[in-house]
Amino acid sequence: MNWESFCATRGEMIKAIGTNRVNDKEVVICFNFYFQALPNQQTVDYPSFKLVIVGDGGTGKTTFVKRHLTGEFEKKYEPTIGVEVHPLDFFTNCGKIRFYCWDTAGQEKFGGLRDGYYIHGQCAIIMFDVTARLTYKNVPTWHRDLCRVCENIPIVLCGNKVDVKNRQVKAKQVTFHRKKNLQYYEISAKSNYNFEKPFLYLARKLAGDPNLHFVESPALAPPEVQIDLAAQQQHEAELAAAASQPLPDDDDEAFD
Amino acid sequence: MDDLEKAILISFDESGAVDSVLKSQAVTFIQQFKENPSICSLCIEKLCFSKLVQVQFWCLQCLHEVLRVKYSSMTPEEKSFIRKSVFSMVCYEAVDGSDSNSVRVLESPAFVKNKLAQVVVTLIYFEYPLIWSSLFVDFLPNLNKGAIVIDMFCRVLNALDDELISLDYPRSGDEVAVAGRIKDAMRVQCVPQIVRTWYDIIMAYRNSDPELCCSVMDSMRRYITWIDIGLIVNDAFIPLLFELILLDGLPDQLRTAATSVVLAVVSKRMEHKSKLALLQRLQITRVFRLVGGDNDSEIVSSVASLLTGYATEALECSKRLSSDDGKGVSVELLNEVLPSVFYVMQNCEVDSAFSVVQFLSVYVGTMKSLSALTETHLVHVGQILEVILTQIQFDPTYRNNLDMLDKIGREEEERMVEFRKDLFVLLRNIGRVAPDVTQIFIRNSLSKAVQSSEDRNAEEVEAALSLFFALGESLSDDAMKTGNGILGELVPMLLSARFPCHSNRLVALVYLDTITRYMKFFSENTQYIPMALGAFLDERGIHHPNVNVSRRASYLFMRVVKLLKAKLVPYIETILQSLQDTVAQFTRKSSSSKELSASEDGSHIFEAIGLLIGMEDVPIEKQSEYLSALLTPLCQQVEVALLNAKSKNSEESLAQIGNIQQIIMAINAISKGFSERLVTASRPAIGLMFKQTLDILLTILVVFPKVEPLRCKVTSFIHRMVDTLGASVFPCLPKALEQLLTESETKELVGFLVLLNQLICKFSTGVRDILEEVYPVIAGRVFNILPRNDIPPAPGGCTEEIRELQELQRTFFTFLHAIATHDLSFVFLSPKGRGYLDSMMQLLLYTCCNHKEITVRKACVQIFIRLIKDWCSGPYGKEEVPGFRSFIIEVFATNCCLYSVLDKSFDFRDANTMVLFGEIVLAQKVMYEKFGNDFLLYFVSKSFQNVHCPQDLAEQYCQNLQQGNDIKALKSFYQSLIEKLRVQQNGSSVFR
Repeated sequence: MNWESFCATRGEMIKAIGTNRVNDKEVVICFNFYFQALPNQQTVDYPSFKLVIVGDGGTGKTTFVKRHLTGEFEKKYEPTIGVEVHPLDFFTNCGKIRFYCWDTAGQEKFGGLRDGYYIHGQCAIIMFDVTARLTYKNVPTWHRDLCRVCENIPIVLCGNKVDVKNRQVKAKQVTFHRKKNLQYYEISAKSNYNFEKPFLYLARKLAGDPNLHFVESPALAPPEVQIDLAAQQQHEAELAAAASQPLPDDDDEAFD
Repeated sequence: MDDLEKAILISFDESGAVDSVLKSQAVTFIQQFKENPSICSLCIEKLCFSKLVQVQFWCLQCLHEVLRVKYSSMTPEEKSFIRKSVFSMVCYEAVDGSDSNSVRVLESPAFVKNKLAQVVVTLIYFEYPLIWSSLFVDFLPNLNKGAIVIDMFCRVLNALDDELISLDYPRSGDEVAVAGRIKDAMRVQCVPQIVRTWYDIIMAYRNSDPELCCSVMDSMRRYITWIDIGLIVNDAFIPLLFELILLDGLPDQLRTAATSVVLAVVSKRMEHKSKLALLQRLQITRVFRLVGGDNDSEIVSSVASLLTGYATEALECSKRLSSDDGKGVSVELLNEVLPSVFYVMQNCEVDSAFSVVQFLSVYVGTMKSLSALTETHLVHVGQILEVILTQIQFDPTYRNNLDMLDKIGREEEERMVEFRKDLFVLLRNIGRVAPDVTQIFIRNSLSKAVQSSEDRNAEEVEAALSLFFALGESLSDDAMKTGNGILGELVPMLLSARFPCHSNRLVALVYLDTITRYMKFFSENTQYIPMALGAFLDERGIHHPNVNVSRRASYLFMRVVKLLKAKLVPYIETILQSLQDTVAQFTRKSSSSKELSASEDGSHIFEAIGLLIGMEDVPIEKQSEYLSALLTPLCQQVEVALLNAKSKNSEESLAQIGNIQQIIMAINAISKGFSERLVTASRPAIGLMFKQTLDILLTILVVFPKVEPLRCKVTSFIHRMVDTLGASVFPCLPKALEQLLTESETKELVGFLVLLNQLICKFSTGVRDILEEVYPVIAGRVFNILPRNDIPPAPGGCTEEIRELQELQRTFFTFLHAIATHDLSFVFLSPKGRGYLDSMMQLLLYTCCNHKEITVRKACVQIFIRLIKDWCSGPYGKEEVPGFRSFIIEVFATNCCLYSVLDKSFDFRDANTMVLFGEIVLAQKVMYEKFGNDFLLYFVSKSFQNVHCPQDLAEQYCQNLQQGNDIKALKSFYQSLIEKLRVQQNGSSVFR
């Protein structure tokens, strides 16, 4: 894979997030006489992407990004504006890449910029909680709001908390990703289960290389719970089986 | 740049280069700015001047928010101003009052335009059609201004669908009502014009701006579900859409978009007769050629979706319509499209929203009601079988993973097992409607698979065999036995098959499983038995290089032997010969057994051999020859191991222990084939061989007294021998029990008690001497371990230790119960056992009143009943056990028969509790029989008195107990008495 050529085709987007931030530099210059701007987050000389994480409150978005220990160490904490940006590095066979993960947790409480955070997002994760049905019901709305700002970006849907015994959303009930061509993964942030999968999928999509792989695992916080692998395999099997089922018919505009 | 703009830019900063204090100040600033009463005008003004996209976005976001929250409190002038300004923006015009050079929002990036569309939709929500009725009508003329406005128009329509109409999103009742109102108004007012405009735009821009046409068609696809279908299905649109689809020179994205529109037309919900007319009109055959070519292109997959969608609708029509209404035509349309659909299913990436299995199942379902299948049906059945065969094949790229069964291989196998389930259901349905076609298909695919190229044949063979295996599940025993039709040809063909890929784990496994599934065929067609044995015994089965295969083969072979053993007598010699090496190997290597599951440990080969040589059809000389040929070397190995045990270091002895375990398991498995009748009655010489073996194995306990796994294995062998050898095992027992008793940990004690329970149940009083010997020892230990009353709950839930204690308690009660109910209660009174009598009584009493498991309480009451019967000869007899009688009358009767049932927790609605209650009533009856008025007087005058039982109830009780022989009546009387007492106590019970 060639990052250069890739970046060139997405030049516009890269500019916004990469090292040559035309707009931002302009801003900083304008404001130098007002305030002392502190460059406290270093930019990097390898490909980096803005990743937006959305989903209902309490679905585990923050727990998820915090599993990545180096990202946790470097994160930029700005609770007052309702977003945390975690730079998460991954090592691929084509070199290092960085996801700037925009964890939009708590945005409702803080007012914040809401969908303004999505601007220039290059990829996204929509998170729901398999133990809370409503969080899955709201997934389409998150998807719509995301796509309004970021047209045609790769998106992963993540069902979190699969370690919890009492699931409300069964694997086979998850069909949304099939309607919208998203990738779906069952994850458990607390047990690190499938932590890398969403990032790997997004990296492959962004690079346009389906064979891209991670050569080294990122340092993860030790699992807080052990996932019941047998039960999980059961779910995955259900999911595979569900893939062969028709989508539920929810168009009620009968006999127009 | 003013302060607001600066603050917005800082707030939206993505570089992280802005100090967080500054950023939070900026956020606070813009947040406060929203409080400004004229915020809407300020935003609109900004939108006219600022080119900064962040500022534009923020202003639109702000407008949207203010409209949503404050619309009802705005003045008409303000609303009108917003409406006019926003409309100017979407029409690419300067906002009123601003300079004509002002900024145009439509020139901004997509996310700004989408935000603008969202604002328009919010206005539509509040104002259309009542206040702003002319919105769409006024918008349409502006589309002449060109692509930029058309693009905006599409964004508004799509946003309207997303934000209000589409049912993909959760909506409130209010939103659904508003959406209905909007759709109704649009249908009447402007839908025809909009559709007309769509047509004009596509005609005008199809060559110059395909992207714009795609946006238009995206809107069409969304709106078709609720607009008059006649607006699209007409002589203008349908030819245009198909032209776009079919013209090879056009960009793929345009063709794909047109295909999606046609799919929306096809899928439109309507009455079936109209649907049929619609389907006919489309002349779908013209797109068939598109799926033949390059299968990876976007257009192919979208046409594939169209064809599957079309077929689904045609099938639905054929099911729903009567023959008068066009059932025949529907079937014709379906038959026309099916070949392409089958092709798509086999060769293209089918849209994941379409379920191949579901569609095919419905189609096959329509054949069930037919008396005979037509030629076309049969052709289709063949094609469906092809589809199934293609779908169930593993991907050759996983071949090594699957062969080694690593993590990836295991995942892939599990996925496939799950995926195949529905397809196999479909296969069996086909097997029922068209048995011959199915079997011929399997035969052909087997022979084809064998010949296919090296790089595929393992997967093809595996798939073909799996089909054959799956088919077997639906065949009746009779069909299987007689081998009707092709089956009689297929099974022999299978038996003689040797695939080049037979070394492949999956192929070898499904091969053996399939033969096993059809084994009933051999019971009728015995001429094939040698071939079947060959498959199990040679390198396709037990001698397969892959250990997983050979162990599975051992297990399957055992099952075959179990079913066919009577027919296998002539082959025993041959079988034993070919298994010689396997038998020898089994006990030689021990370490590998740990990673394999218990059911597939390979010991089944010994079970199979045992079943074969244990038959009475085998002459006694032969039988003892075979058996000793097996047992002698095994026993020798044990003896040698025991002799050398002392000199080994820990690692070696660990291996040795594993080895001995294997040997015990093997001997145990062999013994399963020998019946008790054979070894005790008809051929005691054989029994003697097992007895000698038992003697040797018992010495293991002497040499390795503390090795838990060995202890377990030996104990389970003793269990077996008790079963097989019957009473002749007695001489061995004292030695065995003595060794087993050297350990007295909770778990070991449980194992020991289980063995004793087996002995008691099998031999009753026959074990009296043994029991008199061991009971005191056991009682001593158990009372040492078990607490006097409840087992304390563990602080953090149920720990292993607590669980073991509970297990011991339960087994101990079973033990006591077995003793009491097998006429062995004198054991409790033996000189050495008597010392524990008091402890036992206290434990039984506490348990029968308090234990949380009702069944345990019942067992304890039953023990008391037996003891009363055994130890108390009658009202005036001599007291055999001093103090027992008064204990029963004063303590047991009062506490168990009265107080414990009075407790509210004693639930008469629970079935188990009612059984316990029956035993308690029976106990009273027995006490009365044995103790007469001694019991009655105490119970009524003391115990009833204590709970303030009214005189009349007490009298009735006496009458019931004295006269009635009917235990049922007594039971229901006593229940009513208890219930009355409970009411009378009114919750103030302080009995216990």
